[in-house]
Amino acid sequence: MDFKLGKKEEALRAEIRKFAKEELPAGWVGPSLVDGGECRDWEFEMSIAKKLAQKGWLVMSWPKEYGGQGASLWEQTIYEIEIAYWGIPGAWMGISGVQWVGPSLMLFGTEEQKKKYLPLIASGEPDGVWCTCYSEPNAGSDFANLQTRAVRDGDEYILNGQKVWTSAAHRARWCWLAARTDPTAAKKHRGISLFIMDMKSPGVTVNPILNYYGRHHFNEVFFDNVRIPTSNLVGEENKGWHYLVQALAFERRSTAPTNYGGFKRMLEKLVQYARDTQHEGKPLSQNPVIRYKLADMAVELETLKMFAYQITWRMSQGAIPTYEASRNKVMTDEVMKRMAITGAEILGAYSQVDPDSRWARLNGIVQSAYLGFPGQAIAAGTDEIEKNIIGQFGLGLPKSY
Amino acid sequence: MDFNFSEEQGMLRTLARDFLSRECPKTKVRELEKDEKGYDPQMWHNMAKLGWMGLVFPEEYEGINASFMDLVILMEEMGKNILPGPFFSTIAFCALPILEYGTVEQKSRFLPQIARGETIWALALTESSGSYRASEIRLHAKLEGEDYILEGDKFFVSDAHIADYLLVVARTGEGKSPEKGITLFIVDAKDTGLGMEVIPTIAGDRQYKVSFNKVRVSKNSILGDAGQGWHIVDFLLQRAAILKCAEISGACQAVLDMTSTYAKQRIQFDRPIGSFQAIQHKLADMLIDVDGVQYLLYQAAWGISVGSPSQLQISIAKAKASEAYQRICIDGITTHGAIGFSLDHDIGLYYRRVKAAEFAAGGIDLHRENIAAEMGL
Repeated sequence: MDFKLGKKEEALRAEIRKFAKEELPAGWVGPSLVDGGECRDWEFEMSIAKKLAQKGWLVMSWPKEYGGQGASLWEQTIYEIEIAYWGIPGAWMGISGVQWVGPSLMLFGTEEQKKKYLPLIASGEPDGVWCTCYSEPNAGSDFANLQTRAVRDGDEYILNGQKVWTSAAHRARWCWLAARTDPTAAKKHRGISLFIMDMKSPGVTVNPILNYYGRHHFNEVFFDNVRIPTSNLVGEENKGWHYLVQALAFERRSTAPTNYGGFKRMLEKLVQYARDTQHEGKPLSQNPVIRYKLADMAVELETLKMFAYQITWRMSQGAIPTYEASRNKVMTDEVMKRMAITGAEILGAYSQVDPDSRWARLNGIVQSAYLGFPGQAIAAGTDEIEKNIIGQFGLGLPKSY
Repeated sequence: MDFNFSEEQGMLRTLARDFLSRECPKTKVRELEKDEKGYDPQMWHNMAKLGWMGLVFPEEYEGINASFMDLVILMEEMGKNILPGPFFSTIAFCALPILEYGTVEQKSRFLPQIARGETIWALALTESSGSYRASEIRLHAKLEGEDYILEGDKFFVSDAHIADYLLVVARTGEGKSPEKGITLFIVDAKDTGLGMEVIPTIAGDRQYKVSFNKVRVSKNSILGDAGQGWHIVDFLLQRAAILKCAEISGACQAVLDMTSTYAKQRIQFDRPIGSFQAIQHKLADMLIDVDGVQYLLYQAAWGISVGSPSQLQISIAKAKASEAYQRICIDGITTHGAIGFSLDHDIGLYYRRVKAAEFAAGGIDLHRENIAAEMGL
């Protein structure tokens, strides 16, 4: 056993700190703590993406031939933690490209697809921004129930249907899309294929959906006879489910490190706030209730860190995690909920202040977390679905649904 | 970073598992709850023969020079089986500080006896408040010539009734802070000035109130330096907290295993109850807790193993383990239904030990307070 980070990882950490100090405005807390991960200033976000690409960080764990550095998973994990800690925007190129489209294409894509799409993501250019079309009105947790239909017509597929809750569709140039290609398959998940779709294709309509605090992250996307060349099919027809499971695993691996970094910053800010804030004649930090609450948060946060490290270690050993990614997602949601609710308790009356107001404390990070955590808990799989996976694959219990 | 145990450590775990499942089945645990001594001398002897008592002692003290992490592995297996007896008191609470702070003479005298399983030790630290803070240490030791005279009461002293020696934390002076003026004494448990009264516990372990009525102890029996003993207490509490975490970690794993097995076997509404999400989600939460306890334990234990203990990591591990143990037992019992509430079922053995495990080497509040202080609050 060994719980020390390597020299390379420590050096990388120092370099990212330097980058954050040089490139970000003073007092910046960044999109990992406000705005649910996406910067409101999209041009600024993309300008940082370009700089991350120039540094060789944007897709550091990809092989050199696709624009990466062949960095280890450990470096990738530390990078993700630090990016979130400093709130460096632009690291995800929309929401999908860096984290799962690229890695999935490397496993299942054709040579032509790899050569075309991977360098675009790696460059940090707007043409490398992706979104992901999975969920539909009748395919949420029951994702295999998706009904968007792709019908082969010569060397094209014709796509009709609707997706919903599509993050970054209004920013993306490309879409990673699951559609039904065989409605007669014996099992629902056997008739699904995975496509790359150009968001500029005729017949694609993107409508914004505002969340309950008025922010625009996700969208509904409609397809009206959209033509997708067969060269944009990923892997084999009707085998999409297999690729999707892997893509979801890529997505869920990064959940713990990316969130741990942001929460670590948030806890440090809450500790500082408790020290600096006088309440009824003495610093909040001397109030035993506040001390205990912050200590409890530190315990849960440290647990999340160990989970992030453990899954990185498993994968760096060549193992494919089974229940661990779901465990990490549940823990992430738990920590975020605690951060939000306890953070709000610490702010007291100021927890009700609009996060954008000049009266907001700590740049509004607590209110942003408070408003955002129920949504975060649903994205990439609800806790209920994750716990089904943990029960089935972590404990060998019978399928429960 | 590496979450793997070495091959030798894997062998140690297998050996411990085999030995304990053979020598310490739950029938034995139940039997020893009613036994006056509370431990099995023959099993104790066999453990010594395997080298467990001297596991981390150097060879010159008849040990086998293994690492602290090896001790953690051993205690995880002991926790899994709920091994009754004075291993924790003797090794975690007393032998480790003697090894670190004893004079050559003290080490050569006491450690080989411990390694051979010939002597049992108990730590007399907490007093009537049950607190592990220096401010609560009132048992007084007054210098008279070459001897100290000890006067006062200690509470919750585990295994005092079978101990050959007591390691006693006493106040020999007052200073600017309560940590000043603390001295540790090695006291012969046969001293006629000692009085013992059992404090019956729900765990069925053996805890005592020990009264010191003018107990005379020679200056040579001080561990470390007079008046400077609190850092030894810190040292032993850090290690003991982690070794208690290891016991808890093993126990949590055992409760999860038995509950998960039961959920697969118990049929209601024509199907295993483990196929219901209400049950499955409880088990998922238990698994998340078990993983968390393990990794936090290993991280903190590794720090101790390589000579850079982190109070923050240690207190986080102990706070987490104590809370998780309680949650896991409660969810485990309710998943079992009525059978989990019965005397004959083993799960209750674990639940009854939750509070003893929590308070050994510091309760949740003490560790929360440590965490807060380490965070700069």
